[in-house]
Amino acid sequence: MGQQYDPITTEIIQNSLQAAADEMFAALRHTAMSAIIYEVLDMGTGITDRNGEMAGSGAGIPAFVGVLDKTVKQILVKFNNPGDIEPGDIFVTNDPYSGGVTHLNDVVLVMPVFADGELLAWTANIAHWNDVGGMVPGSMSTDAKEIFQEGMILAGIKLFSRGQPIRSVFDILTANCRMPDFLTGDLWAGVASVRVGERRLLEIANKYGKDVFLHAVEEYMDYGERVSLAALKRLPKGTYSLVEEQDTGAPWKVTVEIRDDQFIVDLRDNPDQDKGPFNMSRDEAVVSCQIAFKGVTSPERVANGGTFRPLKVLTRHGSIFDPIYPAAMGIYYELTIRLEDLIVRCLAQQMPERLPAGGFASVCGTLFGGIHPDTGRTYAVIEPELGGWGGSPQADGNPGQFSALHGETYNCPAEVAEARYGVTVDYLSFHDEEGGAGLHRGGKGVRIDYRMKSDNAWLTVAYTRSRILPWPLNGGCEGSPNHVEIVRADGTIENHAVVSGLTVNCDEIIRIKTATGAGWGDPMQRPLNLVKEDLKNGYITEEQANRYYGLDERSQSE
Amino acid sequence: MLRVATDIGGTFTDLVFVTPEGQVGTAKSHTTPGQYEKGVMDVIAAKHISPRDFMSFVHGTTIVINAITERKGAKAALLTTQGFRDIIEIGRGNRPDFFNLEYRKPQPFVPRYLRREIPGRMSYKGMEEKPLDLSGLVAILDDFRREGVEAIAIAFINSYANPAHEEAALAQVQKLWPDVSVVASTQITREWREYERMNTAALSAYVQPIAHRYLDDLTGCLANAGMQCTSYFIASNCGVDTVKNMRQVPITMIESGPASGVWGAAALGRLIGELNAIAIDIGGTTAKCGLITKGEVKLNTNYLVERTEASAGYPVMVPVVDLVEIGNGGGSVAWVDEFQRMHVGPQSAGAVPGPVAYALGGTEATTTDANLALGCINPNYFCGGTMTADMPAVNKALDQLAATVHISRQEAARGIVRIANNNMVNAIKLISVNRGHDPRDFTLIAFGGGGGMHACALAKELGIRKVVIPKQSSVFSAWGMLLSDLRRDYLQTQIVDLGAPGAAAQINDALTQLEEKALRAYEAENIVRARVHFLRYARFRYQNQEHSVETDLPNGAITDEQMGPIVEHFHVNYEREYTYRLAAPVELVCYHLIAIAQVDKLKPEKLPTTSRRVEEAVKAHREVDYVEAGIHSATIYDGDALEPGMSFAGPAIIEESGATTVIPPGLHCHIDDYGDYQIQTGQ
Repeated sequence: MGQQYDPITTEIIQNSLQAAADEMFAALRHTAMSAIIYEVLDMGTGITDRNGEMAGSGAGIPAFVGVLDKTVKQILVKFNNPGDIEPGDIFVTNDPYSGGVTHLNDVVLVMPVFADGELLAWTANIAHWNDVGGMVPGSMSTDAKEIFQEGMILAGIKLFSRGQPIRSVFDILTANCRMPDFLTGDLWAGVASVRVGERRLLEIANKYGKDVFLHAVEEYMDYGERVSLAALKRLPKGTYSLVEEQDTGAPWKVTVEIRDDQFIVDLRDNPDQDKGPFNMSRDEAVVSCQIAFKGVTSPERVANGGTFRPLKVLTRHGSIFDPIYPAAMGIYYELTIRLEDLIVRCLAQQMPERLPAGGFASVCGTLFGGIHPDTGRTYAVIEPELGGWGGSPQADGNPGQFSALHGETYNCPAEVAEARYGVTVDYLSFHDEEGGAGLHRGGKGVRIDYRMKSDNAWLTVAYTRSRILPWPLNGGCEGSPNHVEIVRADGTIENHAVVSGLTVNCDEIIRIKTATGAGWGDPMQRPLNLVKEDLKNGYITEEQANRYYGLDERSQSE
Repeated sequence: MLRVATDIGGTFTDLVFVTPEGQVGTAKSHTTPGQYEKGVMDVIAAKHISPRDFMSFVHGTTIVINAITERKGAKAALLTTQGFRDIIEIGRGNRPDFFNLEYRKPQPFVPRYLRREIPGRMSYKGMEEKPLDLSGLVAILDDFRREGVEAIAIAFINSYANPAHEEAALAQVQKLWPDVSVVASTQITREWREYERMNTAALSAYVQPIAHRYLDDLTGCLANAGMQCTSYFIASNCGVDTVKNMRQVPITMIESGPASGVWGAAALGRLIGELNAIAIDIGGTTAKCGLITKGEVKLNTNYLVERTEASAGYPVMVPVVDLVEIGNGGGSVAWVDEFQRMHVGPQSAGAVPGPVAYALGGTEATTTDANLALGCINPNYFCGGTMTADMPAVNKALDQLAATVHISRQEAARGIVRIANNNMVNAIKLISVNRGHDPRDFTLIAFGGGGGMHACALAKELGIRKVVIPKQSSVFSAWGMLLSDLRRDYLQTQIVDLGAPGAAAQINDALTQLEEKALRAYEAENIVRARVHFLRYARFRYQNQEHSVETDLPNGAITDEQMGPIVEHFHVNYEREYTYRLAAPVELVCYHLIAIAQVDKLKPEKLPTTSRRVEEAVKAHREVDYVEAGIHSATIYDGDALEPGMSFAGPAIIEESGATTVIPPGLHCHIDDYGDYQIQTGQ
């Protein structure tokens, strides 16, 4: 069949799709106004086929790239009459209940690409906007009870018609935001990005012809599916279940069925939706499953719509993974990482020789703010934290790494934090909390000490894996907890994992400690030279070397 | 008396020399790992020239980058601030390979037990918050000696704002252990971001002993051979520097080879009036491209060693020419994955076995083999006529490849070239489009062994209107070195609110101090003030932002009256790069002072012409497959017989030793005053 299409041209077009997504990413990053976009790179870009299937791997953090296809599909459902979608149109969505997937702060723009009146593809991007209105500055609150409190809702709105901005929509957007200048800047950055993508796709289609282009896109997804199916063939078939207690005491349950051609994740037997913002949309539950699926099957290759064809996700309407409108969803991301970790854990029990043990597995979203002591200006920090990954069948876990939801996310250097926020960073290194012993030990967690330099600073955190620790594999040991200590002026230490608006005063310390990942394999099997090296490096104490690794005992019997 | 440049590459050591009459000589010999100076002496001997006759000598080397990538550096230790022992192991936490649950973080170059903490603290404002306590240093150094440490890096928090603690620790280490190699982070840079600066110091310590030995051995060899002139070494910032300075911060040599190539392209561009250019160097294993705007090479200080799609790499915070490098050169191997998809590179057949055509045991077709099969390279004038290409083996390899993807041999050969070109087009987009520049506004200057072979196809794909293949294309990096001045870049982070009173005075003081520092450093090497001139830049941003834009500053005293125009200048530059401007307050983040001292460098001369006609340069005609433009009977020109003023149209091929230039049908080629091939690829 494919013989009439030259395979080299097909491949060149496919490479060009990735180059176009990268170019869209660069355009968005360069022109975005909000630091969380251009610094933390809390954004993603991608290209879908005309039906809204992801056509390339896209660019950006994995938790975001998987969102875009779902947006386009929702637009196609809503705008289903002839003439509803025209060349030059751009649509905007942030509503997790209708294609926005994550939470209201993440705004998706999509643009149809037409050649000679025929819809060829879509270009799309998503970025975290600083403020979209709602009950608190920054729009995310752990106190929100319904989505209306989390900001304005854009449920698939036409923003540009035939290349012209729809002025009244712009006016509504800017009027409903605390930082209208930032919104306008970030909005135009998104527009520039989808338009760059449109231009590139048209160049490709014009050079090679529409049919060749469409064939290449289709073939690329078939290729994605072939890669997934080949990987599935190598996995042990069967149905695997796991119930895991959460820090809150709630049991979460997953059942994964692996067939030759399907990977089914059943999430139906899970708690009813949360009254607060600890919910995720069904679409986001799918994104979380996609990240786990890709990681377990074929992390090194292309990720597109075809890749995820074998994946089926079952949810129950009214549960935390598929809540009934208008449940709040501000803290969805902590559910995303929990669910991804749950699926990997479920499978890792069955195939420990293929998968790593559990890591710190939390976004460890940390928000604090106050007054800069030198400039008198207010500051606010919003950051994910670095933690330890679990030991794997091949190696020790990574120390001080962002969670599986993140890709090219960079932490804030201590020197930059000190100048920008006026706090003092007393410590940024590994902590010495115990955990993670194994043949391959868990990566070390990180301790950061932020010493406040003015009174009345506030702190909000929502960490998980604080009570239920990172899970070991194959005879390894559990990791350590994610938590925050507040060192008060009188020397007392408070321990927290979820807290809102806690007051911290001058010379008191916010001490963040993220988990050390769990160990993989029996620590008594760890080669003695490595145990001695760990001891020399201070990753473990002498007492731990003996208790977990039997250093003295094994040295004598050697 | 001769001007001489040598460039040590991975495979070959190149030589270029220029006589007082402007005659250019070139040679290549094999690089001699372990004893690199031998390769340099070999290539000099090969041309029968004597170091006694050198009036200037410039040298570039890959020894620093090789020591790092081959993990052959010294046993290094790190002294850092209490509470920051693990910074170089933590890095920034990013992960380019973002689905991979088995991602492996780059391992630090200094293991944890050799990272020791020293009490003492500077604030971000450069004020001492806690005095430096070196009382434990004796015991620490004893430990280091016991562990066989050869080099020590010192890197403290906030030293960018005040290096006093680092300097005190440095002096004390030198006093207690005079023989150890030691470097403080602020000797290399005064930019903020502790991981990047600490890692730079650690890598610098790691390469310092090996670089010292090499610099001493080479200068010793040359002195023994009678060389009288000063040796200069090319740095990654496109300038040259003295042995004395290189010994102090050898890490600045990290990308010296590619830097001189891009620099050469910038210098050539200025000579022939092409001020906006994309330089592409297509070698045996990689292609590297850099951007030149208004005759200036773009540098950055966020260079990463070993950064790939699968690894975050290691930052080196020195000014390095802004490059995109991909594993795509003449020796790149074509292969087919388990899903019948064809790829080219990044694996390379290297020098051994090399392409199949070498008949040295290679069995997988490379880009060079494809170019032979298409007739672009002459099998009977292969490698400048030094060998005959093994075409039966080439055809066999292509047939094998073709069979796996069910295409013909010709389609396979074309496919390799098309995929290779597509890889390079995407690399050029990264350096241009993704940095906010439209490649159509640039001229493509292509060099290296494969530059002329692929340039016209790349230009066409990118809409570039003109291609220039330099006369010294195959040894262009070495040629570029002859055109460099002494250059030192001083970067210093300091936050200045431009709206605050006293901002002008603060900036003026800082620049004056930096300039004085530069002048004193040059004077210590007998380079008088009059020879030094400065280029002043600073990085500005809107308050609270992260990304900054580098903008030039006026020379002379900075006064309150100048602040308005300086801020406006920033707004204009910012808008050009990011498409909008803000009403927000502006702050200065970092000074960037460039101190240039003119050296007596090469001034390229126009080539003489004879009355020879272009027809006399025609060697032959043969069938060439131009891939997208089809098969044509091409005129083959002898590059050595071409001279300024000649012109002709494709289909054509220019052959000379070391380089082949492919000119597709209909394109016009003109030989300029300096012998370069200028090809019009669009209107």
